[in-house]
Amino acid sequence: MTKDKMSFQATAGTAGLFVVAAALRLLLFTAFPGLPNLLTGRVEISTPVTSFKRLQEGLFLYNHNVNPYDGGVYHQAPLLLPLFSLLPDPSTYPIFTYILYTLVDLLSANALYKIAESGEGGASRLYSSPRKEKRWNGYVVAALFLFNPFTIATCIGRPTSVFTTCAILHAVAKALSGNIFTSMLSLSFATYLSMYPLLLLPPMVILAYDRTYNPKVPKSLAQLAGMCTLAVSASLALLFLSSYALTGSWEFLSSTYGIQLTLTDLTPNAGLWWYFFTEMFDSFRSFFLGVFWLHLSSYTPALTIRLRQQPLAVITLLLGIFAIFKPYPSIADTSLFLSLVPCFRHVFPLLRYSFVTASVVLYGTFLGPAFYHLWIYAGSGNANFFYAITLVWSLGLSLIVSDLAFAVLRDEWEVERPEMRGKEIRQI
Amino acid sequence: MPNVQSFSTLRARSYVFRLPLFTRLMVLAIVVLWLVGIQSAWDLRKWGALIPDEMNFFTAYRMNTFPLIHLNFLHALLNLLALTPLLERFESEYGTLTSAAMFFGPLTTIPAVTYVILERVIFRVNTPVMGASMWVFLLFSVEAVRTYKINPYFVIGTVHVPTWTTPLVMAFVTAALIPSTSFLGHLCGIGTGYLFGLGYLKFIAPPEKILRWIEGKLNLLGRLPHYVSVDQKTYGRFGVLPSNSSSASALFVGRSPKLQKAPPYISLLLIVVGVAWLFMLPMNDYSRRTYISENALLPGQVHTYFGGSDQNVLRAYRHEVGALENKTNTEVNDKLEHMFRSMGLKVGRQNYTYTTSGNTVAGENVYAILQAPRGDATEAIVLVAAWRNVKGEFNRNGLAVALALTRYFKRWSLWSKDIILVVPPDSRAGTQAWVDAYHDSHDSRRVADLPIKSGALQGALAIDYPQEERFEGVHIVYDGVNGQLPNLDLINSVTNIASGQMGMGSSIQHMFHHNDQYRDRLTCMLRGMVNQGLGHAVGPHSSFIPYHVDAITIQPVGQGWHDEMGLGRLIEGTFRSLNNLLEHLHQSFFFYLLMQKERFVSIGTYLPSAMLIAANFTITAIALWVKTGYAAKADTEKESKDIKEKKGVDAKKSEQTAEEAPAPVERELYLPLSLVTGCQFLGFVPLFIFNHAPASVLAPLFVAVTLLSLVLPHALSFFLVTTYQPTHQQYQLITSFFLLLLGMFLSTLATLNFSLAFLVGLLATPLTFVRPFPKMPAAGYAYSALLSLLNPGVVVLSAAVATTTLHGSGLGLGVVGVTPWEAIQKVLEEGAFGWGVWGMYTPLIFWCVWFPAWLVGSVVVLG
Repeated sequence: MTKDKMSFQATAGTAGLFVVAAALRLLLFTAFPGLPNLLTGRVEISTPVTSFKRLQEGLFLYNHNVNPYDGGVYHQAPLLLPLFSLLPDPSTYPIFTYILYTLVDLLSANALYKIAESGEGGASRLYSSPRKEKRWNGYVVAALFLFNPFTIATCIGRPTSVFTTCAILHAVAKALSGNIFTSMLSLSFATYLSMYPLLLLPPMVILAYDRTYNPKVPKSLAQLAGMCTLAVSASLALLFLSSYALTGSWEFLSSTYGIQLTLTDLTPNAGLWWYFFTEMFDSFRSFFLGVFWLHLSSYTPALTIRLRQQPLAVITLLLGIFAIFKPYPSIADTSLFLSLVPCFRHVFPLLRYSFVTASVVLYGTFLGPAFYHLWIYAGSGNANFFYAITLVWSLGLSLIVSDLAFAVLRDEWEVERPEMRGKEIRQI
Repeated sequence: MPNVQSFSTLRARSYVFRLPLFTRLMVLAIVVLWLVGIQSAWDLRKWGALIPDEMNFFTAYRMNTFPLIHLNFLHALLNLLALTPLLERFESEYGTLTSAAMFFGPLTTIPAVTYVILERVIFRVNTPVMGASMWVFLLFSVEAVRTYKINPYFVIGTVHVPTWTTPLVMAFVTAALIPSTSFLGHLCGIGTGYLFGLGYLKFIAPPEKILRWIEGKLNLLGRLPHYVSVDQKTYGRFGVLPSNSSSASALFVGRSPKLQKAPPYISLLLIVVGVAWLFMLPMNDYSRRTYISENALLPGQVHTYFGGSDQNVLRAYRHEVGALENKTNTEVNDKLEHMFRSMGLKVGRQNYTYTTSGNTVAGENVYAILQAPRGDATEAIVLVAAWRNVKGEFNRNGLAVALALTRYFKRWSLWSKDIILVVPPDSRAGTQAWVDAYHDSHDSRRVADLPIKSGALQGALAIDYPQEERFEGVHIVYDGVNGQLPNLDLINSVTNIASGQMGMGSSIQHMFHHNDQYRDRLTCMLRGMVNQGLGHAVGPHSSFIPYHVDAITIQPVGQGWHDEMGLGRLIEGTFRSLNNLLEHLHQSFFFYLLMQKERFVSIGTYLPSAMLIAANFTITAIALWVKTGYAAKADTEKESKDIKEKKGVDAKKSEQTAEEAPAPVERELYLPLSLVTGCQFLGFVPLFIFNHAPASVLAPLFVAVTLLSLVLPHALSFFLVTTYQPTHQQYQLITSFFLLLLGMFLSTLATLNFSLAFLVGLLATPLTFVRPFPKMPAAGYAYSALLSLLNPGVVVLSAAVATTTLHGSGLGLGVVGVTPWEAIQKVLEEGAFGWGVWGMYTPLIFWCVWFPAWLVGSVVVLG
């Protein structure tokens, strides 16, 4: 009885939250008509592989029966085109696009609500944190996501990365609720849209395995992993085939994933790759592309093995690492990472650099646009100004990631060595 | 042992600060004796060295003095570096008393006696020795023996080398490499060290019981700093140490009460240095003479031919323009279009309508493009002659000069860039509309598209010549919207041509009589800073600068012998220079402060002053954050009780750590965060109001808002205290957050608009020191009164009163014949106009950076 009542209250509260968040977004969309286009043009929000402007270009070509990948502007997944061509033209009836993006944000928040409510952050199958009592419920976590300025700016800038965000969060939520195949389907969608989520497969499999584990009928992890891989490959194959049917050629593979793999578009962004590759001699290019990608993908096995007991922490840390080191990162990736961090409320007292990281990220947020302005518009700065700030920004993010990793490991360690609680350890 | 990779200054510092007592004393003794040895009156070295032949009962003191005396500085330094870590290890292991006893006793005498006997009996020579290297080798051998017990061999190839040989190897190497070292003396030290390390000399160590008794009786541990107790000696040096800090920066700030008190003083110091820095800039040593950086400009290197019969043309144009003075905008443009077409130029017209503060500014620009005979229409230079200047005066001569010049330019075949003559009806909105449309960034509901265009704009020159008489010199106006400046090369070129080629005077910032002394330079710089800080357009050129088009306005001033033809030649020379450019102006500075037409400081020199002021906020913010991590010592018990009552979960934790002071406490973040965020967003309300209210109500509205904002902190504070009863920690957090934001905004702003950041930072400096005064409400009210004087609204109002009543004495901004009331209205209209038309962000900084910071600061003071 009381449980029913409580869950009802929760849903009523979340409904209110969602309504407020949606209203805020629609208000920003309509009250400041120049804002969406302004934010769409910002390099911090729109990257060559997610930009809404480029999507428009692709859409125009698609609607005029021209191959959307002609012209080398559009680098996004082909299946986005029929979806957006269903909507009325965004330049005349922008409201439908606004509603679509708002809905996607709400869907993401809903998935996040489920993730937080599952309590997986504090207590997984193999590990239960002594601090797990201290946690935020789904309402708070969803609110932190929905009212995060980065999320709001992303929503208004309308990059297609919000779909990836939504798919990843749903994959996690479904894995937590035991729907392995839905989860894998969701992950396939994310992979199809942005490619890098494929690296989340190992922790996602472990998460699904842990959540469906039945001590009476233990299944083998290898078997489940095989099934999951099969499911992901099958659904990806299906998506690719339908893309092929849609565009009539396999060109989309090289124009979407090829761009990410070879970084042929060097538009500045918040990441670390573009500057490095503008400076590089061509003969070293392929070598360093290999190194950069190897570096990015090396975190998956390492973290999955080390944090085997806490798969959700692995996913969160990996998302943080992707937001720093992937080829075209934007604040959409940051907001996805930051949305999962509150699920680890219990380790917040163990964070050592919270003030430093908050300040560094804030400074990066404000100085980034200022230096970009000095470089591009005022002409009184140069590319190094902006790159310096992206370094600061990445430093801030990597501090969050490493601090969170430290806190999670410290939490585990204190279970092994209870006498060390509350004492400082020093590395020798 | 610390190795190179893990070296950090912080660690090294803390290492030095933690050196134990005996080690310190020995280091001190060595240094002092070296200093004593510098003088030549008394030969210390002869007195103290270990000279084998002179040893007898009365000179036995030498056995203890010789390690402390060194030959020269290098000798002393090298030995100190080697000895300190070894001795520190020894002392922290055996305790201070034991170390003293051992080193004044057996560990020095045994090797000394051995040495003397060996020298006198076996070798029959007499080599005096001194220096601590014997100790070094002794201690080193002790260590080596210990290492040998744990790790007996190291392997080189297939050879197993026992580790105890390292001191011997070292002694050989030292003997080989460093001249005049006593190999024998070192060997004696090593031998003693081996014996001690192997435990054969244990019997000579003073018994622990006695040491403990002495220590207890004299309470050495309590009296002597850095004393290592006999009991303490068993503690290991490394490993897990109990500590209560949770953040790295807190490691040293949080613990030391001295460091906790420092931040306000550091902040104050930063402010003082920042302001003093600015006042140093006009001095000769800190500013530089200007110079032409771009070689292609070649200013004043060409003959100018504007003259002769062109004077008749100019006179004719002046007549024609004069006849149009009272015609409407359209009639004027019809006539101008006709004139342009008859010169053979392409003509375009453009309508614009702006509405701000309920006023509508509408007009029509007309412009003509002279296509370059030698160019391909990819680049263009702009000549602007507005119908009316910023003061609203009829720019008759300016327009006539521009027309005559254009006609003259048309005859030349040397132009490689198109020349565009723009005639806007006013100097404020017209050029803005034209430049916006030229770069396709206009709002097409307010500004029409341009029918014809040329290439990328390389530079722009505006003529503002309403006066009828001949002139003495030119006044160069260079401030752009939002305090952006044109490339310094452009200003230098004009100054150079004017003074070098034309013999005209030139001046900046209304400083027509500049004696190039400190006072005038400072005034000139401050005027420039005020203009930059206000960020408004000061001439028709200002609108070009945000588009990275370097632009200035030239105003002929004074009574002299130069006529319009001279001005024309000046412009011709400048255009020829611009025509030479191969690239956009980029060589010289974009960030500078001019303090005389030929003297400037660049960003590297002046930026620190604004940055120091911004940093003072950040430092206080960080210090307060660190402070809030710990309960103050007096409050510890009370606070931890509070926490226990509030949060059952935390109770255990605080109990555990309460014994170690200062205890870490959980920070209560929700109230501070929401208060600071709320106040930050509150700033958007007045911003919106003042950008949309009609002009007639602006002044009374501003006064009302100012009064309201003076009351608001009291109301907010009352509300906070009655509803939430914020703790001291929460007030500190509030202060920390708003100061962090303020510091961040200002340092960002300093890169965009130095002067604005400096001025706002300076006026906000009292906010650094805000804190609640719960025990002294009077002090709180006094501080609040001080802050009220620096309320943003009050500052603007008093500035308006000051400039209208004290004109002439201030920065030359005095406005004659305007009441303060009108002045305020004018300022506010300008703000709204700038916000709506020029994209000026000064109102945003005013309402959303300064005002919220002031508001939160005042609330804290009243808490």
